[in-house]
Amino acid sequence: MNNSIAKKRKSGFMRELNAIVTILARGVLLTLKSPASLIMSLAMPVVMMGMIGGNLSQNMAGGLGFDYGQFMMIGMLVNMLFMMTSQGLTSLVEDQEINFTQEMMIAPISRYAIVIGTILGSAFMAIVSCIGTLIVGLFMGIHLGAGQLFAILGLAPLMCLAAGAFSMLLIGAIKNKKAANMAVTLVTMPQMFLSGAIIPINNSSGILLVLNRLMPMTYCLDLVRAVVYAGTPEYANVVLFNPAVTLAAIVGLTAVFLVVGTWLFARSETHK
Amino acid sequence: MSAVIEVSGLVKQYDRTKVPAVNDISFSVGEGEFFAFLGPNGAGKTTTISILTTTLSKTGGEVKIAGLDVGKQAKEVREKVGIIFQKPSLDPQLSAEENIRFHACLYGVFGYRPTFRMMPKAYRDRVVELAEIVGMQDWLFKPIKKLSGGMQRKLEIVRSLIHTPKILFLDEPTQGLDAVSRRSLWEYINHSRHENGTTVFLTTHYIDEAENVDKVCIINDGEIAACCSPEELKRTLAFDPTPRVCLPTLEDAYIEYLKKTGGEVA
Repeated sequence: MNNSIAKKRKSGFMRELNAIVTILARGVLLTLKSPASLIMSLAMPVVMMGMIGGNLSQNMAGGLGFDYGQFMMIGMLVNMLFMMTSQGLTSLVEDQEINFTQEMMIAPISRYAIVIGTILGSAFMAIVSCIGTLIVGLFMGIHLGAGQLFAILGLAPLMCLAAGAFSMLLIGAIKNKKAANMAVTLVTMPQMFLSGAIIPINNSSGILLVLNRLMPMTYCLDLVRAVVYAGTPEYANVVLFNPAVTLAAIVGLTAVFLVVGTWLFARSETHK
Repeated sequence: MSAVIEVSGLVKQYDRTKVPAVNDISFSVGEGEFFAFLGPNGAGKTTTISILTTTLSKTGGEVKIAGLDVGKQAKEVREKVGIIFQKPSLDPQLSAEENIRFHACLYGVFGYRPTFRMMPKAYRDRVVELAEIVGMQDWLFKPIKKLSGGMQRKLEIVRSLIHTPKILFLDEPTQGLDAVSRRSLWEYINHSRHENGTTVFLTTHYIDEAENVDKVCIINDGEIAACCSPEELKRTLAFDPTPRVCLPTLEDAYIEYLKKTGGEVA
């Protein structure tokens, strides 16, 4: 064995960063090696944006006081980031089934590096879906400006982290891939309809309002719309909260969810 | 010789079980020692290794690796150890080299690069060197799915050695390997032990592999039945009041010991 190689090891923050990049790269590699995943990532927007969004656009877009197509497009992009990142995170459960989690758990890295790397790796598939959404949008005659696109892209890592952290609360303790997939569906589907991704929620009340306020995607959507619609006449109609408060809420909730979810994940691995 | 593994009163009881898998075991392994942990199936070997390598929590007792507490300083402990798991832990979607690269980068030995060619020369040379030792140089860039069980085992061996651990845990490392590969693997492990002073902790069902170890512990039903040098173990049995045969090998001694202590001989 070569001692000089062992001595060259990275330490501290750089090691954690390298581990995150390594796990992220594995996520990208696995997506690229799976044509079915890529096709699904591109096909999902056709169903979500083209069919659900298109239908809503044709039947309920009148009298809103803003361009529904653009409203829905932004909602769909955030929804894709949430949905695909959460689904990608189930790879942690798959890794448990093939014993690959052991390989990561035995490495001298923080458990947060494992979870964050996996979330960001899953985000790649989400970005592919976002590209698909933009392409479907083009066919539907919905356009976003370059500035708006860059704003969404800039916020995408935070959205993916928020989605992943929230999903970790559920996935962290689940050992079965089927159960994990069901849990993710259970979390992502209601969010799409209740958080304002495709249906305006300005007039929600009662239990639906409570559920809306409990969903992390509500705040993510609101922040993205606040940035995209900043300085436009539609701002007051589409943005619910103060963006600074929303940003603080997202960062705070993401941090809490990440800590609890990672703790659950690490505990489920070592406490048997 | 200072102890690099210190286990004292270790207990592990799995959730929803009535009997501990490991029950109050104590032993130590000296630095640079070649240590064999033998026992029949279900005796508690893998449970003990999992606790020692921080992948499983303990119920009670104290475990120190290189002076570090496995519970409180788990990350530092993981820095010191390498392991070949009993169950394969490879990513079947990646190629053999990608699995090795993933491991080396997680351990911080090298910075991650997207392709083998982009990795530092030191990494490439080391991978090729190790692959040649276990005879899998032609399979490095093949997907895991196309590798036989034996070839996958060789890959796990290469992967566990890439970060030059201070203590190497081998949980039945040669299971599924052919005789030639087994021999070349042991030659390499012995070579690296002498070169780097690596401590080797071995569990195996091939008792002949433990013939040349410094110390052997026999675990049965979660308890230590014997812990001494192979010679001592053989000598003890040879002086048994009712010896039936002269016991020339460790395997003979091991089987006799299990029979005497009421263990099941697999």
